[in-house]
Amino acid sequence: MRVKIGFEVHLQLKTERKLYCNCPANYQDVPPNTNVCPICTGMPGAKPLPPNEQAIDAAIEIGLMLGCRILTDRTIYIQRKHYDYPDLPSGYQRTSQPIAVDGELSGVRIREVHLEEDPGQYDPVAGRVDFNRSGVPLVEIVTEPDIKSPDEAREFLKLLTRALEYTGKVRPEGGGAMRADVNISLEGGGRVEVKNINSIHGAFRALNYEIMRQKRKLERGERVERETRAYLESQMITVPMRAKEMEEDYRYIPDPDLFPLRISNQKVEAIRRQMPEAPHLRFKRIVAQYNINEEAAEVIVSERELADLFEQVAQRVSPHLAATWFRTKLKKVLNYHGMRAADVKFTSAQLAELLQLVERKEITPEQGELVLRELVVDPRSPRALLEKLGLKPLKPADIEKLIHAVIEENQPAVRDYLSGKTEALNFLVGQVMRASKGKADPREIRKRIEEILKEGR
Amino acid sequence: MGRTLEIREQIRRGEVSVVGRVQQFIERIKKEDKKINSFIELNPQAIAEAERVEKKLRSGERVGRLAGLIVGVKSNINVKGLRATCASRTLEDYVAPYDAEVIKRIRQEDAVIIGMQNMDEFACGSSGETSAFGPTQNPAAPGRIPGGSSSGSAAAIAAGFCDLSLGTDTGGSIRNPSSHCGVVGIKPTYGLVPRQGLIDLGMSLDQIGPIAPDVEGAALLLEIIAGRTQNECVMLPVDRVEYLSRLNRGIKGMRIGTSSKFAELTDPKIMAVIDKALDKLRDLGAEIVEVELPNLEKAMPTYYLIVSVEFFSATRKYDGRKYGKRIEEVCGEEVLRRILRGAHISRREYRGKFYQRALQVRTLIREELMRALQHVDVLVGPTVPKLPHRLGDKLTPMEMYGYDYLTVPANLAGICGGVIKAGEVNGIPVGLQIQGKPLGELDVLRVMKAMEETA
Repeated sequence: MRVKIGFEVHLQLKTERKLYCNCPANYQDVPPNTNVCPICTGMPGAKPLPPNEQAIDAAIEIGLMLGCRILTDRTIYIQRKHYDYPDLPSGYQRTSQPIAVDGELSGVRIREVHLEEDPGQYDPVAGRVDFNRSGVPLVEIVTEPDIKSPDEAREFLKLLTRALEYTGKVRPEGGGAMRADVNISLEGGGRVEVKNINSIHGAFRALNYEIMRQKRKLERGERVERETRAYLESQMITVPMRAKEMEEDYRYIPDPDLFPLRISNQKVEAIRRQMPEAPHLRFKRIVAQYNINEEAAEVIVSERELADLFEQVAQRVSPHLAATWFRTKLKKVLNYHGMRAADVKFTSAQLAELLQLVERKEITPEQGELVLRELVVDPRSPRALLEKLGLKPLKPADIEKLIHAVIEENQPAVRDYLSGKTEALNFLVGQVMRASKGKADPREIRKRIEEILKEGR
Repeated sequence: MGRTLEIREQIRRGEVSVVGRVQQFIERIKKEDKKINSFIELNPQAIAEAERVEKKLRSGERVGRLAGLIVGVKSNINVKGLRATCASRTLEDYVAPYDAEVIKRIRQEDAVIIGMQNMDEFACGSSGETSAFGPTQNPAAPGRIPGGSSSGSAAAIAAGFCDLSLGTDTGGSIRNPSSHCGVVGIKPTYGLVPRQGLIDLGMSLDQIGPIAPDVEGAALLLEIIAGRTQNECVMLPVDRVEYLSRLNRGIKGMRIGTSSKFAELTDPKIMAVIDKALDKLRDLGAEIVEVELPNLEKAMPTYYLIVSVEFFSATRKYDGRKYGKRIEEVCGEEVLRRILRGAHISRREYRGKFYQRALQVRTLIREELMRALQHVDVLVGPTVPKLPHRLGDKLTPMEMYGYDYLTVPANLAGICGGVIKAGEVNGIPVGLQIQGKPLGELDVLRVMKAMEETA
């Protein structure tokens, strides 16, 4: 059965100030109703300040990131969208007409990007409203219904949040920063809009539920009516919204207190020049330029700072080695510490130096990994860390001595090996490793023991 | 020198005490305003403010351009610590938590704020009768309405309860009561005076302006409140204006437009006064030119559609959650009528039919007035087509809206307009309206000044 899914995704922009007043936008960090002023609480007579340029620029950059055309040199009205809710201090929300249109991300067409202001936060149980969030800038991204399954939807939302996080202009997901409405229709049924989705995971679950619900209806020969439903996160189901909420007429009018926006070509070009490369484009380029596998590249571009780090390191060591390390060891260590690449303190030069030691076989990959773990918590030269950890690399002559000593002392195992029990070799390698306190490279040792024993035969 | 500037000089020279004057005014208001009802609330800090100014004067400190002058404020402008009620039950307990930009400016110039003035509820009215605090009397024509909506602001000037008033004009609310009360009022060009802190009626039409006993007083107050602020979007790129030093240039050679359309819409008794005023202006050397205003009468219905939609939007915040009372539940008839009209015509299905059409007619009227003003310096005619009715007479809404035919075009076009007394009909003042180009306040003031001197 053919399924069509489209999204309206809201994300908060990471600006210092609110959209139409000078209150700080860090609403989560302060006691309720302290980041407020007459403007963002809608006091009688208060008028909006000119819109926050940072927010407009961010919306433009996000549009560009999603491959959109920015609507330049034309009038973009900021409209009042009227509805009655306790968290909305003026009884209307200011929302711009589209700033960017006709984009594309991973095969999903982006219909438009526009700017909105967040309302306050209403706690219906306590009957309280916190206006700290009121006026924080939001960007709304509207897609065409090009998504065909909940899995695709989840993948799309991941790619979307990644692309937006790349810009550094949105607040990271979590803490209610991402909110989405989704519309979904099955072949032969009406379009259903589901509101109140607060995470990628929630979208996935809501969609699975809706498909099941609509499918059953259609199978029973019932009609799926066009309607608006709300997702209940706690129960993982969707329920119809009250008729009043659906029939709402927002009575849009251009806000008479604001000049319409007008975006110049120069501004767009200036933003384009300094913005980061989009992650899906960077993925393609990194695969081609460094000739690494897609699996590693996917991990590397998952965070902008991780990709930056990779490209710097790959200038100094084999990109293949770097890619392997990024995909496995580095990612593992960062995950262990719950760190994002943006949080690392060590330099790309330090990481490159470490990988060079491994590349030149001065240390083993195992030693390298120990150093890497240390590097994350104590960022300094890998050589200094080797010293600190007591991992001074052994000279080849020392290792040779150890190997010969182990062969001398373990003649029964040597005989076993020579009589065809190949697993005896593992024992011998283990003995050398123990004697070297783990400083030798087991692969090298295995090779060398085999050589010696073959010669001696 | 006119009365206002003369008082300012006396205060500066220390010949009259600021505190003494404020005390006198308060006493007079307490005694005589029971009858007039021009104030809703007096400023308990007025004496303290006067003392501060007096101290500055005595110590020889530099004082502001309004030093010691007593200003009354219409109740839809936020004055920190005073109630900005909009003469409505909805906001009867709303104590302003901040100063409007114009209030900051007059405080900066050492004015003393004496109190909050009565008005039509939310500035919805042309008679001064829709206030939840009771109607205002016309001191210049006892028993009659003072006009509105800045009813208290004009009446207080006519009664001598303050030196200057701050009124607001969305469709004539400064000019209409100035005409009926025989005082001077100016509606500035849209975007000249900051609206930050003015409680909305129609955001694309509202302007704050001065009401004064003389032209110089109005010019002085306008000089102080005019000019842009970075804190507001929809403002003209004007930093400061200067009128007082250039008022007395006379009007010789000025081109003054007038239209036969005015007479079609206006009571002949009023037109007789206006025609006489035009003769005087001609005698003073102005050239009187007839201009075409074929769509003038379309302005009134257009205005009521636009103002209702904007007012509907502006009043959504009075939802009963923050100020205690939901506007629809406690407001008067006219306010409710406008909210319901606005809600109705802004509905999705009617947008094209009413609101969009109204915006188109607004453009038409703006273009018509601009075209007329290309050929002349100012347009001169009557302010209100009818004489003020007797308090207590019941008018239908359409009869009430009929007062606004001649004032709303300036708001729709965003141009400026001033009013000065031209004469009387049976003892009732009649105001001459002078409309100017965008930012043409100086030309308007020159004509007003010339007219004032003929009296």
